[in-house]
Amino acid sequence: MIGLQILNGLVYGSLLMIVASGLVLIYGLRRVVNFAHGSLFMLGAYIAYAAAQQFGFWVGLVAAVSVLAAVGFCLDRFGFRLLQDRDPLTVMLVTFGLLLVFEDVVQSVWGKQSYSLAAPESLAGTVELFGSPFPVYRLVIVAAGLAVAAALVGWLRHSRVGLFIRGASTDPVTTAMQGVNTDRLSGGVVAVGAALAGLAGVVSGPFLSLSPTMGSDILIDSFVVVVIGGLGSFAGAFVAAMILGQVQALGAVYLPDLAALLPFALMTAVLVWRPSGLSGSRT
Amino acid sequence: MIPLLNLDAVNAYYGAAHVLHDVTLSVCPGERVALVGRNGVGKTTVVNSILNLASLRGGTLKFNGVVQHGLRTYGAARAGISVVPQGRRIIPNLTIEENLLLGGAVKRPGPWNLASIYELFPILQERRNTPGTALSGGQQQMLAIGRALMANPQLLVLDEPSEGLAPVIVDQLADIFNRLANAGTALLLIEQNLSLITRVARRFYVMAKGSIIEEGALEGLDIAQLHKHIVV
Repeated sequence: MIGLQILNGLVYGSLLMIVASGLVLIYGLRRVVNFAHGSLFMLGAYIAYAAAQQFGFWVGLVAAVSVLAAVGFCLDRFGFRLLQDRDPLTVMLVTFGLLLVFEDVVQSVWGKQSYSLAAPESLAGTVELFGSPFPVYRLVIVAAGLAVAAALVGWLRHSRVGLFIRGASTDPVTTAMQGVNTDRLSGGVVAVGAALAGLAGVVSGPFLSLSPTMGSDILIDSFVVVVIGGLGSFAGAFVAAMILGQVQALGAVYLPDLAALLPFALMTAVLVWRPSGLSGSRT
Repeated sequence: MIPLLNLDAVNAYYGAAHVLHDVTLSVCPGERVALVGRNGVGKTTVVNSILNLASLRGGTLKFNGVVQHGLRTYGAARAGISVVPQGRRIIPNLTIEENLLLGGAVKRPGPWNLASIYELFPILQERRNTPGTALSGGQQQMLAIGRALMANPQLLVLDEPSEGLAPVIVDQLADIFNRLANAGTALLLIEQNLSLITRVARRFYVMAKGSIIEEGALEGLDIAQLHKHIVV
């Protein structure tokens, strides 16, 4: 029983990892705390749902990720880039406004009821784990999370663009001085961040249910992850996502009355212990 | 000869603060020019105007004879003007080698690459996998110079390179700047260290209160005349 709960924690942790890594990317380049990130996650799930009705899960996945990448690029080009000299609080309020807009758009198109996105047939079975059946699809979510983490780390550590992104996340002005087009770089990075949110939304579809509040729910957990991990740190976010996944999964079973409080209790404890988060050296 | 860098009656602002007043200055290919003046007279603002970190209102700025409209911070490096900024601005989360590779973001052809930079500054190769900020001040200055050279610039703008460095390190810098200049790289040296200026530069501008108040050749100049513009 506890084995299964830990597995479920891993599944939710993997989703959080994908969502939070997008938040970290966007924060790094634009210093924007993107409240709209949860609604990008939701939008991804609904777009995939709509496309999957006609063409199946995989087309839905590709459609959602592509549309979200385009949304992310526009968000940077016509949002963050124009607002880059403004007070961060102003930009944060703009992203909060976008969250409300996206939620309303989704509600007016799909209504308030919840939907469920079917897992692709090839992954719909179950395997026997710890003496009970466990959906194969959930293991795929974990694999997807690990793949995203490995791909991101590889990209940031070993590619030219990754070097520019790491430079620009610490010191955008000096990086631009070297001739790096930081505007185009940010456009690309926000597109990738949004696409990751969309990807997480699609992948979560068969695991969580689709509703207009799904964005806010995961956004809050993702913020907790980013704060615990240390703003701007991928390694910290990965570890924090896994911890929070476990806290959510085990808390729901063993401390159901306190389950909603646990993430915040954890966050408070970490912040008291290390005010800039687990791996936070940057501010 | 078309100047690599030309400011003509430039007025620059930070927000509402008017910092540069009708600054006219130019550096031609291969020239060694010093920009001299006390703290706070606007020397760094000249650099910031080139990098679009101060806003230009009035006057023209040209790179290689081309008027710069809608300038971006990344424009100068692409036009062959690399800046070694005041305070060096080594990126702390990147290793020495990564800081250098970042400088090579602009793929201009030329003699400078990792190998030739390491030949010029062997200490950087020895410690290439350590964070750039683990170096001493003088070594960090060398890293900042190496990073700027990676772009194979025609003009190197050096903003107070001797700041905070021991005299023996300043001597090394003078040698390096002369080697670069002899190899044909133009230099705009923003400095208060007269010994470095007289060893490297051939021409000078003096700034006070955001304006150029004097200019000329260094050769045959009574150094006391420059001295009074630097020492309070």
